[in-house]
Amino acid sequence: MSKAEKSLNEKIAELDKKVEWFYSDDFKLEDAVENYKNAAELAKEIEGDLTKLKNEIEVLAEDFTK
Amino acid sequence: MSSAGSIQMTPTELVLAVNQTLEYAYSSVTVVGEMASFKVNQGKWVFFDLKDEESSVPCFMTLWSLRQPLEDGMKVMVRGTPKLTKWGKFSLTVDTVQPVGEGSLRKAFEMLKKKLEKEGLFDPAKKRKIPEDLTRLGVISSVQAAGYADFIKIINARWGGMKVQVAHTQVQGMDAPDQIMRALKYFNERGEVQMIAILRGGGSADDLACFNDEQLVRAVAASKIPVICDIGHEVDESLSDLACDVRASTPSNAAEMLTRDRAEELTKVRRAMMKTSQVVVNGAETAREANRDKVKKISHGILIKYIEPELSKIRENMVGVLKNIERVLSERENYVKQKIVMLGALNPEVVLRQGYAILSGKISPGNDVKITTYDAEIIASVKKILERKKYE
Repeated sequence: MSKAEKSLNEKIAELDKKVEWFYSDDFKLEDAVENYKNAAELAKEIEGDLTKLKNEIEVLAEDFTK
Repeated sequence: MSSAGSIQMTPTELVLAVNQTLEYAYSSVTVVGEMASFKVNQGKWVFFDLKDEESSVPCFMTLWSLRQPLEDGMKVMVRGTPKLTKWGKFSLTVDTVQPVGEGSLRKAFEMLKKKLEKEGLFDPAKKRKIPEDLTRLGVISSVQAAGYADFIKIINARWGGMKVQVAHTQVQGMDAPDQIMRALKYFNERGEVQMIAILRGGGSADDLACFNDEQLVRAVAASKIPVICDIGHEVDESLSDLACDVRASTPSNAAEMLTRDRAEELTKVRRAMMKTSQVVVNGAETAREANRDKVKKISHGILIKYIEPELSKIRENMVGVLKNIERVLSERENYVKQKIVMLGALNPEVVLRQGYAILSGKISPGNDVKITTYDAEIIASVKKILERKKYE
């Protein structure tokens, strides 16, 4: 799934995973800066989504009386 | 043929004429009364009388149309068409019947609850959870209902990025169960949404009675897509509530259960990133300390191996330098001592002690001059100046 197709929930779940890495045994200082950069970029994207994203409400044209 | 003011017809024609008149005048009537003589024939047909203090109307319906268990003595509302049978018996052909009034509603509710409970329709083990990544939601409600407006307002305030399809149906009255069932079928057949929310909000017991419709309750329980119900207030309980997967107490509560709070998430994301940046900084600090110790060890090794011999040479050189300095200083000291001796010899006091005198003042005849000896200072007057013969 590409970045554009990811839902807000999926992005948050991905960020959670990225953040978890920093507290895990896999943590390596050599990779930390790059991983932090990636996480910060994703966090910024999520912040943007959280502020701007709206729900799409569609009242169906279907007639349920019949 | 007809006599004056009268129409002649056969019994069949009369029945047909009466039925046409009834259909024209009362194509559909709603009658509220007390149920009496309730019976089911051949497992297909339902007969009962609807009565009040003065009158009684026989009613007929199919068992399939009966949506709730009923019994004699219940106050019910029936909707149907009045008809005359070919045997000349008047009756009401009933489409729908539902109990009305608190006592009858409670009784019907308890009877159906017991029946469906036995069948396992309310089994907690069958309940499904709200999908974690809910992005496609189906809503069944009346778009005019206050509860619906509250729900939409709250989900919009709390979250974004969801596609919400709304099936506009009645949420009270005799037609509501069928309409809600059609909407449930619509969402289940298309499979486009991950969760279905049936929203009703508060109302009287009569208003909410449609959610105790047996077929609707079964449809809610059978939905392939998980269903959340918000029917009535917290204190109200409908059988649809019991059959659904998740029960909400109010439309706001349903919205809160289905969505995260964006403000809360924003704070969480920012806090997580701050904490993570601290982890990186701490890691870097730890690494720097570790490296510093390493550097210390390495530099100590280098000191012993490479610098120490050089330092010995420097030390040796320094000894030579110091000796030279000492020698130069000693020579300087002797020189100064000699100069002191020489200066001592030039001291006027020494000269005076040897018997010489010092003459000061303008030496010309008639002037006073000062003569300083070792013991005295003498003022004398110059009488005459003579040239002295030198012995150099």
